[in-house]
Amino acid sequence: MEKGPNPKESVAMEKIFYHLECYLKQTLSQRKFLKVFFSSLLLLLTQNIFLKELFAKTSSSNGRPKKKIATAHDLVLAEGKDPYQNTVKAIEALGGMGLFVKAGDTVVVKPNMAWDRNPRQAANTNPRVVAAVVDLCYKAGARRVNVFDVPCNEDRRVYENSGIQKAAKASGAHVYYADHWNVMKARFPYKSAMEDWPILRDAIVCDTFINVPVLKHHGLTGLTLSMKNLMGVCTGSRGSMHVNIGTKLVDLTDFIAPELTVMDATRVLTRNGPSGGSLDDVMPMDKVIASKDPTLADIFACGLMKKSVLSVPYLAEAKKRNFGITDITQADIIKV
Amino acid sequence: MKKLIFLRKIFQLFFLGLFIYVLWSTTYPLTGVLSPQLLFKLDPLIMFFTALSERVLLPGLLLAGGMLLLTLVFGRFFCGWICPMGTMIDITRKLRFRRRQRPLKDGQNQKARKPKFFILAFIFFLALGGVQAAWLLDPIVIIARVVSLSFIPAVTLTLNNLCIFLIQRFELYGGFYDFYRGLKDSFLGVNVHFFANSLITFLFFAIICLASVFLSRVWCRSVCPLGALYSLVARFSFLKRFISDCKNCGICRRECRMGAIKEDNQYVQGECILCMDCVYHCTKGQTYFAFKERGARSILQETERAGRSGMTRRDFLFWVLLSVPVAGLGRVFLKALKRDAGVLRPPGALPEERFVDTCVRCGNCMKVCITNGLQPIFMQEGIEGLWSPQLVPEIGYCEYNCTLCGNVCPTGALNALSLQEKKQAKIGVARIDRTLCLPWADQENCLVCEEHCPVAEKAIKVRVMTIDGKEILRPYVDEDLCVGCGICQNKCPVRPQRAIRVYPLGS
Repeated sequence: MEKGPNPKESVAMEKIFYHLECYLKQTLSQRKFLKVFFSSLLLLLTQNIFLKELFAKTSSSNGRPKKKIATAHDLVLAEGKDPYQNTVKAIEALGGMGLFVKAGDTVVVKPNMAWDRNPRQAANTNPRVVAAVVDLCYKAGARRVNVFDVPCNEDRRVYENSGIQKAAKASGAHVYYADHWNVMKARFPYKSAMEDWPILRDAIVCDTFINVPVLKHHGLTGLTLSMKNLMGVCTGSRGSMHVNIGTKLVDLTDFIAPELTVMDATRVLTRNGPSGGSLDDVMPMDKVIASKDPTLADIFACGLMKKSVLSVPYLAEAKKRNFGITDITQADIIKV
Repeated sequence: MKKLIFLRKIFQLFFLGLFIYVLWSTTYPLTGVLSPQLLFKLDPLIMFFTALSERVLLPGLLLAGGMLLLTLVFGRFFCGWICPMGTMIDITRKLRFRRRQRPLKDGQNQKARKPKFFILAFIFFLALGGVQAAWLLDPIVIIARVVSLSFIPAVTLTLNNLCIFLIQRFELYGGFYDFYRGLKDSFLGVNVHFFANSLITFLFFAIICLASVFLSRVWCRSVCPLGALYSLVARFSFLKRFISDCKNCGICRRECRMGAIKEDNQYVQGECILCMDCVYHCTKGQTYFAFKERGARSILQETERAGRSGMTRRDFLFWVLLSVPVAGLGRVFLKALKRDAGVLRPPGALPEERFVDTCVRCGNCMKVCITNGLQPIFMQEGIEGLWSPQLVPEIGYCEYNCTLCGNVCPTGALNALSLQEKKQAKIGVARIDRTLCLPWADQENCLVCEEHCPVAEKAIKVRVMTIDGKEILRPYVDEDLCVGCGICQNKCPVRPQRAIRVYPLGS
């Protein structure tokens, strides 16, 4: 038996068609045309504002607060075979992690994991150093430790191959991929080329920022040090940061103001940096540097590599501006 | 027996889900349960004609031959029970506005069946001439490409943006954000991938599906060359349809989605896809499928004779005579259409001439590419290059330590390289445009390309020059070391055109 259409449905459809027909048959006056035209124009113009309000919410930030932390020494150099123990020793000698991390803090540990290289190739921070820092943070009472970077190679390959994801996760840290939409625009009290640069929100909104760079060679700047490592919290067109890199990196360091810098010099890439790849270019050094001052740490590391401070653009700029502790002869440095 | 129709529907949905799952898991680190190569190794059309046109033995031939053997036993079970394209067509058919279509007459049905055999013959003769054309109309390839390049990106983009909207709008930076990160890590993928020409890919598929609204399974009846291949085998299959005590009500003829049942209620064996519609709708429950007829009287002989009416001997001869010159001319024609610009092929690709004939455009390599750099091309390489993969360094570069694309290629158009081989495989060669490059043109230090160069000895070397008292580091390319991975082009800060670009070898 043939089933006809639902009678209720058909009545509704007929009604709709009737109204549609009536509407279409109306004559269009000039006045009405103008009304429709201008209202749709207004809608088109204003919709952008609504859409922006809905979707493009990017807040801005004036940078992290600069804390005054009194450490036992300005810089500690730890030597030994085990990078984990080196890190622990260095931070203990500095006065312990308790100075930097208070109970219930959210801590960001920012290692250098930019390249799809394994730990032996020394293009990324040693995973044992990262694990030691994470462990110390939790011991000092941190509520949550975040570990992330914006890598130069593909995120998943880098996180896995560098070994940091596994080591930090084993220590209980939250290791995740940085979201390029989750950023804040940087604002500076002075004129800066980094003005309005999108910087990861997670790196700014945290209680303690611990920079864990690796000491290695870099083609443009000579050395990759702690200030260069901070590039990993920037998104946007990072390639264009390389023009006048010195001033930009000092501005960025001023903006992020990391509380603690733990520099890994366990295995050092001496040539073909920053990505490296050949084990012939790697020199074992078995050192870890810890300091509350990024400039001092960088200048000290520069000395380890026997490079002139002025040949590194961002250190030359820091010296010029007198940013941080730039005079290494006056600093309180110990070896453990 | 009537329950079989539900079993068939469950099978169809299961295999469609499995198909999507396999393609969804075709991503780094490639830990899916089933290899995405398998989907295409089970496809005799692709395997046989690629092997024939390239004169190579492919490892998938055995599996494909197995499918034909199963077809010899059960008939075209693949079309009705497994084929994901068939499932999508069946789902779309539910959209039809008039619930019941009048069945076609015998003569009309016979005419409707023919084109697919012609297409198959055309593919066969082209393959004899050395051109592989099976990819253009193979249903598995079409749906795999749609799933990989259109469906999965659309779903992940929607979910991803929904989550981002919720997080930003309602400031859910706590637990929900962690949930989103977990989702990204497992299900969505770290980056949402986009593919060029995905709308055209989708439209090609959508037209095929929507055509079934007007005539059920018109693709399977008339066009599908894979169906034609199965049909040639299935007409000798052992599993057969029997009717007894027929009341001649004609319901089975009206319900048959393939138009395989004739006016005398017998069926064309090669056309039957075992969808079980006739069994389900048979008023008396007298239709059944079996290897041997129940009861005494056999109508087997009659059925078989009638079943061979798909393509007559005259048709076949006509087509042979027509195909030979067409196949010969086709090759010349296709080559003539091709522009010689050249594109960057993935690492381990066969030489261009053989690559376009071996590649079946399944989209696996593009789906798996970790940086999204492999993109389907449209007409840059002529018709022959349609939907074949190309590396677009502006979108994504070739990861130095990644060997995924060679490992998912079902036909060996991309060789499965070991990591050592991959690192030496040249895709192209980078060249610096000194009128754009910042250190060369504007005396500004940059060196982003050198920084990213993955070759351990650095294929981009630096020349130190002092200009107006300022030390400028100027990059240049060592063309012997360069593998053409394109990361330099990808990261180059110069816009709109990059100052360092990768060109195909020999250009």
